[in-house]
Amino acid sequence: MLGRDGIAGLICLGLSIAMLFMTRELPHSALVPIGPDFYPRIVLGVTALLSAILVAADLVTTLRARRAAAAESPPAAPAAKKNYRLVVLTFVLFTLYVAALPVFGYRIATFLFVAAQQSLLERPASLRRWIVVLITAVATSLVTYVVFDQYLQVLLPRGSWTGF
Amino acid sequence: MYELLIGGIANIVHLKYLVPLAVSTLAGLIGGALPGVTITMTIIIVLPFTFGLDPLQGLAAMTGVYVGGSAGGAITAALIGIPGTPSAITTTFDGFPMTNKGQPGRAVWLGLWSSFFGGLLAGVFLIGATGELAAIALEFGPWEYFSLFIFALSMVAGLTEASLLKGLLSGAIGLLITIVGSDPVMNTPRFTMGSDLLREGFQFLPVLIGIFAFAQLMTDIEKMGPTEDVIAPVKTPPLTVSHLKVIWEILSKPFLLIWSTLVGILIGVLPAIGGSAATVMAYDQAKKFSRHPERFGKGNPEGIIASESSCNANVGGSLVTILAFGIPGDAVTAVMLGAMTIHGIQSGPLFITQEPKLAYGIFAAYLVAHPLMILIMLLSARVFLRVVTVPKSMLIPIVLVFCMIGAFALNNIVWDVWVLLIFGFIGYALVKARFPLAPLILGLILGDQIEVNLVRALMTDNDPWLFFTRPISGVLLLLSIASVVFALWQHRRSQKRALAQTDEPDVDF
Repeated sequence: MLGRDGIAGLICLGLSIAMLFMTRELPHSALVPIGPDFYPRIVLGVTALLSAILVAADLVTTLRARRAAAAESPPAAPAAKKNYRLVVLTFVLFTLYVAALPVFGYRIATFLFVAAQQSLLERPASLRRWIVVLITAVATSLVTYVVFDQYLQVLLPRGSWTGF
Repeated sequence: MYELLIGGIANIVHLKYLVPLAVSTLAGLIGGALPGVTITMTIIIVLPFTFGLDPLQGLAAMTGVYVGGSAGGAITAALIGIPGTPSAITTTFDGFPMTNKGQPGRAVWLGLWSSFFGGLLAGVFLIGATGELAAIALEFGPWEYFSLFIFALSMVAGLTEASLLKGLLSGAIGLLITIVGSDPVMNTPRFTMGSDLLREGFQFLPVLIGIFAFAQLMTDIEKMGPTEDVIAPVKTPPLTVSHLKVIWEILSKPFLLIWSTLVGILIGVLPAIGGSAATVMAYDQAKKFSRHPERFGKGNPEGIIASESSCNANVGGSLVTILAFGIPGDAVTAVMLGAMTIHGIQSGPLFITQEPKLAYGIFAAYLVAHPLMILIMLLSARVFLRVVTVPKSMLIPIVLVFCMIGAFALNNIVWDVWVLLIFGFIGYALVKARFPLAPLILGLILGDQIEVNLVRALMTDNDPWLFFTRPISGVLLLLSIASVVFALWQHRRSQKRALAQTDEPDVDF
């Protein structure tokens, strides 16, 4: 069974081998002796080699650890519990935010995102807290819009549905 | 040189430049002081504001953030024992005990004045050495550049605390990202899957922001929840102190100040190592050289002086590397490099001769930011702690919005925000797999230049041995091999310790 390193190594190995195959389709020019595949092949070759070594090293470490565990199994130290649910939900919210930008426009999408993300990270427990969440969301959306769109000439996305 | 510098200072004190410099120094101080917000994160937030400014305004703003951020970490480190930035960790060792002894003002101002003196001393090196090093770099051909970049990559991969193999693989992944898009010779599209959006490859800034911001923010978010350590509202302690006494306390230890500054400069000059290594090394050296090492960790002023002077000296060192060679000393200068590209400025050895006004403007901004930092703290010290206790649940969504704007404003297209998200996910996954991010970023920055110089060298003369037989190139390649061998030896020595390590690597670059 592979560990974390082994899985990461396998992903890198697979990606680099797939891209190495793709370099075969790159066209060559008779005028230029060094083709567009020359440098990518070096990079991909090195990546594949390092990934393969990482997978092999992980296999050796896992086997050694398993043997050591079979001989003696000391109780593992309890790791600090991590809140991966929040991480996944933050990625989902940010994805929805990016998708909403061209649809609802910067101002509405940002307001919704900031309000939702704040509520996700710390559920508002009182009316006062809800007001703080809403004020922060409105202020972030409007202040950044005015500063960037009106003052710094960064044309922030307008919504195709809202025209806003 | 001095005329240009005086001209630069005269220019930077104009309101047009002074206002962005002062505002960004304040932003840097706040970002640096906020636990969990690194200088890199602060500069990412400030970045979109610089797009609409002229090049010197933008770069002065970034320099201000860098200087302010490096000093700001000391404030929370000394007052509440939580380092505002990872590099301020060593300031907590003596700053917080000093505060507990009832001397919060002395602890904070020792840190800030040490940052001031360390930073200014490094400024002398920055101004004196950049031109000289750039002149040497001007003699470089494509062979030397290629070897220099390989040396930088191998050294960074070797110096990371994680395994050497992962460091090298991380650098290779950085290079891999740069091969997507048109090739530099014939403009042939590579790995674009027929998409026009990928023809120019992945834009550097969305990738950089995605990797750093998400790696940092998601690591913070996973620690949140019912057990989140919330910083209790801090009562602002009186920070009144005799500044002359504090300044004398620092200047009466010239060896400590100069040595720590030199350590900071050296670590700053070496690419992509970051401020944490500088402060840890300077603190360790100060303890070794001290007549009373037993006093360290108990509120010893020497510990604060060593830590903070090296921290700001590190900024000067990093600026030397980017201005002379075009290689970023750390993540902050990596973002600066991206900002320079946006303004159409080519960093590297030609920069100082082709853009002397801009180069000396950056030097001037660096010098002026130090007294500005002191002035801002004199005026706002009392309200400062209230600002830095903003809850993370409020801060994180706002930072994410700034990341979005930073990526979007580059070309005004939503595709760049998708790139930000994709690389945000990759960055977080790499942190979870305990890959160091510094080599990846350096590979990402240097990838195109490595390819261009390799191809240029081989098209000039197809003898690959020239990389070894040309003296400078050969020495640089030998140093690359030596750094990998040294790292192997060092990692073998600390293998047991590495095996016991369970935490993810520090995401501060």
